[in-house]
Parts: sequence; C-alpha cells; structure tokens
Amino acid sequence: MIRITGLRHRLLDIPDLAVDARHIAVIGPNGSGKTTLLSICSGIEEPEVGAVRLLGRPPSAVKVGWVGEFPDRTLLFSRVYDEIASTPRFRHRPCPETDSAVRAAAEVVGIPHLLDKKVTSLSGGEKALVALAAACAGDPEVLVLDEADSHLDAVTAERVRRVVQESPANHVIWCTQSMDTAAAADCVLFLENGRVCHHGTPEEVFAALEETCFYPTLWRVCR
Amino acid sequence: MRVELIDLAFSRDAFVLRGSGAFDEGVHLVSGPVGSGKSTLALLLAGLLWPERGDIRRHGVLTTQLLLQFPEYHITSSTVAGEAASWGLLPEDVLALAELSGRAEDDPFHLSRGELKRLTLACALLRDPDLLLLDEPFSSLDCTAKRKACGMLEEREAGITIIFSHERAVLPRVDAIWEIEEGVLAARGSVPDAIPSWRHAPPYLRYALEQGARPANIRLSDAREALCRTRG
Repeated sequence: MIRITGLRHRLLDIPDLAVDARHIAVIGPNGSGKTTLLSICSGIEEPEVGAVRLLGRPPSAVKVGWVGEFPDRTLLFSRVYDEIASTPRFRHRPCPETDSAVRAAAEVVGIPHLLDKKVTSLSGGEKALVALAAACAGDPEVLVLDEADSHLDAVTAERVRRVVQESPANHVIWCTQSMDTAAAADCVLFLENGRVCHHGTPEEVFAALEETCFYPTLWRVCR
Repeated sequence: MRVELIDLAFSRDAFVLRGSGAFDEGVHLVSGPVGSGKSTLALLLAGLLWPERGDIRRHGVLTTQLLLQFPEYHITSSTVAGEAASWGLLPEDVLALAELSGRAEDDPFHLSRGELKRLTLACALLRDPDLLLLDEPFSSLDCTAKRKACGMLEEREAGITIIFSHERAVLPRVDAIWEIEEGVLAARGSVPDAIPSWRHAPPYLRYALEQGARPANIRLSDAREALCRTRG
C-alpha cells in the first residue's frame, strides 16, 4: 500500500491518495511532477509538507531500488561488477553474499557477460540494464523506474518490462512516456501541474484521456 | 541534392559500422536498436567522424546541421534570445516558431526539456540546412511535445532530413525508411512500399499490417485510416 496524505512539495499538491496495486504507472506531460513524486516515494527527497508511507513505513525505512532516466549520470563505478555490487557493499554485506547477489542480479537481467566490462564501453541500453541490475541487487521492496525506457529500443525495453514483472518487489512505481507500457500496469496515475488528475485501472484512466495523445497507440488501432 | 554512402566502414573497439546507399531529398527515418550505430552514422554524415574505408559523397549539399540527442550540449548562451542569435537568426523568428514568446530573457537551462528541444529544433529549421541530421529528436519528450516536433519537421519544404530514432508511438510523415542492426545499415526503400519490410515498425503499424491494411505512411493516423478502409 502506498499512502500519500496532505503532500505539498515544490509543484506537487496531492491532498490524499491511497494506492493498493503492485505495478503503478505514473504518466503525464513533461514538467508535471512525475520525477519529484518518484523522488519522494524513494526517500531521496523529504516532502516539505505532508507524508508518504510505503508498506506502512516512511520511504527512508523501505528498501528501494531506483533506476533513473539517465544511467550515465548515476553510475558510480567504472566496472560493471562494482556498480552492481555497490548496493550490497554500501549495506556492509559480507563479500560472499555480495558476490552471489551481484551474479544473481546479472543473471536475472541477462548481463552476466558484461560483469568484467568497463561501464564506459557499454551502449546506452546496456547501461540501463546495469542500473536495473544494481537496483535489483538490493532485494528492493519497492522498485522505482524514472522513464527508464525513454532511451531504450523495443527489445531492451521488453527485457526491462519482464524483469520488473518478475521481480519479487511488493511495489513497482514506473514513470513512462510509453502509454502502451503504462496500459499493462495494475494502476495508472496521471499527473498534470503537480496534481493527480486521474488514477485507477488503465481502463478507467485512459477512458478519461481518450481525446488526448496520452492514449495507448495499440488501443487506438485495436479498439 | 543527394548524399551517397559508398562501402562505408567505421570501427571502434569491437564495433563495426557498414553501409551503402543514397539519401535523396526528403525525410528519411533511420531506426534500429540502441547501440546499433545510429549516432555514429549521424556523426559520420555530419563530417564529425571520418570513415576508415569507403566514402561519403555530398552532391549539392552546401550546409549541414546536426542536432544532438541532448539539447543541453548545444547551449552556448545564457539567454534564450542570445541562443537564437548565436545561430545567426533573429530571436523573434525563433521564439515564434518554438512557441517560446515571452521567454526571450530566460536562461535556456530554465526551460523544460521539451521546450529546449523545441528551441534547438526551431533554430536548426530556420537555418534551413541542405542536410539536417536529428539524433533522437523525440526521446524523453511527452506525446504533445513529440507531436509539435513532428509538425515542425513536416513543414520543412526542401533539403535532406535524416531522423535517427527508436520512437514507436509518435512519428512524422517520412519518405524513406532505413534500419541499422548490429552496425549494418540497410535501406528498406520508399514509403509506403517499405513499410511491410520494416522490422522495427511500431506496434500499431504491425497490427495494421497483420489486419491486411496498407497504411500510406507511418503515423498512427495513417494506420487508423488504412484500418478504416479495410473494415469498410
């Protein structure tokens, strides 16, 4: 359960919202507050006013895995192995446990062959997969993806979708500009000017957006 | 006007890019997976990288302009008007086309990403280069901003426009389709004949083709029109 009460932070203004769905898609125009909402739900930022609770706890007390839009700007280490290992290492986990967590995460994401590579030698898509593996290596209770698919081709985006779908995380909060991706979520939040204008199942939310370009292209041709 | 690739080859580490073909006047879409070599080809066509083997021949192309994927790397001035002037353009013209009137004195870095992309695209279009190269012009834009960018591109009347993109929802009307896969550039040909052989076609086009429709172009509206015709 994600519960937001009396939240005011920068342009965000969300009086009251409770979402009890696993896969939550956050959509809306550029500059509507999506990344800000994700930062607050991850505990990266503290709200100026109001509160957010994930699984009944403040976000800082929840294990969150974060995948940003520009992995280039968030990758810290030069070797892929060390980047993925950073999550358990920062938690002071023993070396053997760290090693098995890294290999398991690389396996899940499908990048064991990249472990010894330098991060600088990777393509943009591979960097996104490394960032996803690093997020998964901490056994996150909540997985947060900030437009992680914006710079991915269809094949890589599909792999990210599968990993996220199969992840044991209690919640996945995924901000995307692909309405076809958002249509597969359990719940959709549509933000505009810092406010949640629509929320509910994809059916409910996209019914309200049918006259806009925020409508899945496949629904447009199939229905 | 024409740009010809003659047995082009370029390599970096284990990656090799190869291609042959000719880009005539009109709008070309080069699609392909991330890391397949789209940006490298854009840099080669812009003359910012040199091919190891083969040649790029420009016929009647006197001016070339490349827009990078991340517009923040283009910015050279501390105001929007100054940025437009740095392209040798009248700020009023640029601001009007980019729909940024009233933002002349703002810091370009205070614009949203969509606004910044619109600003650089407006500058490039007003410069009206013979060869315009756009690397991922739609990435990280919302659908409204993508539509605006497509509209601006469709207004371009002459010259060669090459769009490098993996976009799969909002696309402009194009004249020809190319694909790069694992470093090999392949011409699919002119639209609409090229559409059925386009491997990276967006899902809505694939669906339309599967239903037996023959879209006249690659936009969502083209797919819907074609489907309406088949459904009667």
